[in-house]
Amino acid sequence: MGRGRTAAIAGAAALAGSLFLLGGGESPQAAGAPARSPLPGDPLTGEEITRAEQIASATLRAHMTSGRVEFLYVERDDDKAAADRRRADAYIYDYGANRLIVRTVDLGSGRVVAERAGKGVQAPPSRGEEARAAELLLADRRHGRAVRAAYAGAAGRALRSPAELGLRALIFSPRPKDRTARECASHRCVRLLVRLPDGTWLNTTRTVVDLSAKKILTLEW
Amino acid sequence: MVTVRLPLLILSCAALVAGLTGAAHVPPAARASAAQAPSCGAPYRIERTLPGGAAWRLCWEMRTIEGLTLADVVYTPVGGAPISVLRSTALAQIHVPYDSGEPRFHDIGTLGENAVVLQEADCPGGERRERFVCVTVRPRGHAYLKPRPGEPNLSAQGSELVVYAAFEIGWYTYLVEWAFSDDGAITPRVGATGSLSGFTAAPEYGWPTKRGSTHVEQSHSHNVFWRLDFDVAGRGGDIVEQYDFTGSGTARRALGRKVLDKETAAVNRRTRWWRVADSETRNADGHRVSWEIGNSDSAEYRGPDDEAFTRADLYVSQYRDCERLATVNPAPDCAQSVDRYVNDERLTDPVVWVGVSYHHVARDEDADPMPTHWQGFRITPRDVTAENPR
Repeated sequence: MGRGRTAAIAGAAALAGSLFLLGGGESPQAAGAPARSPLPGDPLTGEEITRAEQIASATLRAHMTSGRVEFLYVERDDDKAAADRRRADAYIYDYGANRLIVRTVDLGSGRVVAERAGKGVQAPPSRGEEARAAELLLADRRHGRAVRAAYAGAAGRALRSPAELGLRALIFSPRPKDRTARECASHRCVRLLVRLPDGTWLNTTRTVVDLSAKKILTLEW
Repeated sequence: MVTVRLPLLILSCAALVAGLTGAAHVPPAARASAAQAPSCGAPYRIERTLPGGAAWRLCWEMRTIEGLTLADVVYTPVGGAPISVLRSTALAQIHVPYDSGEPRFHDIGTLGENAVVLQEADCPGGERRERFVCVTVRPRGHAYLKPRPGEPNLSAQGSELVVYAAFEIGWYTYLVEWAFSDDGAITPRVGATGSLSGFTAAPEYGWPTKRGSTHVEQSHSHNVFWRLDFDVAGRGGDIVEQYDFTGSGTARRALGRKVLDKETAAVNRRTRWWRVADSETRNADGHRVSWEIGNSDSAEYRGPDDEAFTRADLYVSQYRDCERLATVNPAPDCAQSVDRYVNDERLTDPVVWVGVSYHHVARDEDADPMPTHWQGFRITPRDVTAENPR
């Protein structure tokens, strides 16, 4: 097991994870357009993902432009009662009302056939939200300075853009004792894991980004 | 041994074929399940006949949230007919609490977005599907070995079809793997590799790594949950049973069987196991075909009150399409964690959730790149065939 190969694998992973290299059609869960009609159990094709997004967000365009509503991603609907149909679940977050919306699109009829919405329930953060969480972190005086210093130490030069950081966000749900993050019970809050160019990850475990309030919170423990 | 392969057999001629071959170990319901065409096509369909003659067929999908998901899993024993096992299975959560109490992570975010591109060396002897999934076959040691007086030993080497992907979640790389053995067994497991987090703690919550005793790497658990929607011998008719053996400090041990006819949260016991059987289909010996679930390798993590999902090792819930993850379930109008899926509802279409914990106390050898540590469980055929399927 040579170090060279390990480094090459890590490099490929970094490439795959880079923010701007994987668009919707190329992301891992999108089927790479087979030269046939998809069978019911095939993953959604890139074209189906794009179409599902358009159909699901058709009535929300104004709110999406204003930034109140954010489209997250599409998942193939796996309800076995509709296993013979091509359906997609579009995940949408309404920041204005702090509400998760899941719209089920029937790709055959081109219509939204079901909608579920609720507060206090969170779907995983999207790529766009990861990037925004990084921007908020960098805009914060104390945290921004720490991230930039760590980046400069690892890369040997200054950070130019959040896109240069490897980002992974996970939903943060407050536990009863997390007093400083109590609002995260109803807000959309994430823990942001930040990878530096040397393959190490910053210790950001006490840091929570409240995307609803656009605030950085520090956990007390 | 008569070899019966009926992949496209339609129900109407099933009885005729059974009569011609005398293949009593090809029950009608199994034929019905075999008649169903796979729901997916290339490159998402995996069909592999293993060196000994057994075959597996399944579909894979890289889902945005759950990552690698397998569906329509069908096993064909040597000389037998195809029989379905699972409608779908995927990871349902990786909960990572650290021993000092914080931090605590729920590592399933958009797992599918974090799949690692596999290089050729990462998929030895196999084929990579769409860069992220490896499909390969590997040996599994002796399938059996029996000395025979005056004759060569009766022995065979087994093999298994393996399907896996890797996901980079912060410090960890998770290898998410299912092995489908030529004897009909399925081994779902997760390996954690990559790097230790480097989180430090007071000495009672960790182990000194690196030089001296100043860096105490914090101990932690990986509590992995799987969701398994069984379809034993075709759709419908699945029943779940729990087996226990009484007698402690006694010479006798009596078998106790309990049908789980309502949603249940069950804990492990040393000799306890479960099985999912089909209520209609029997093998040639007249016994119900089933797959058994054993889960005795878990470290059985039990968390605080607000983590009630850690208080049992196996849950059985009635199928509900919105119940996908064991915690932080991303569905409005739906319960948020597996312990809340269990509400005493009568089971007509059971979904099984298995939790396996691994407690990691770091050691010097875990220095970067951290050696893989594995956790998983076994799903073994029980009375699917009337004899050793070889």
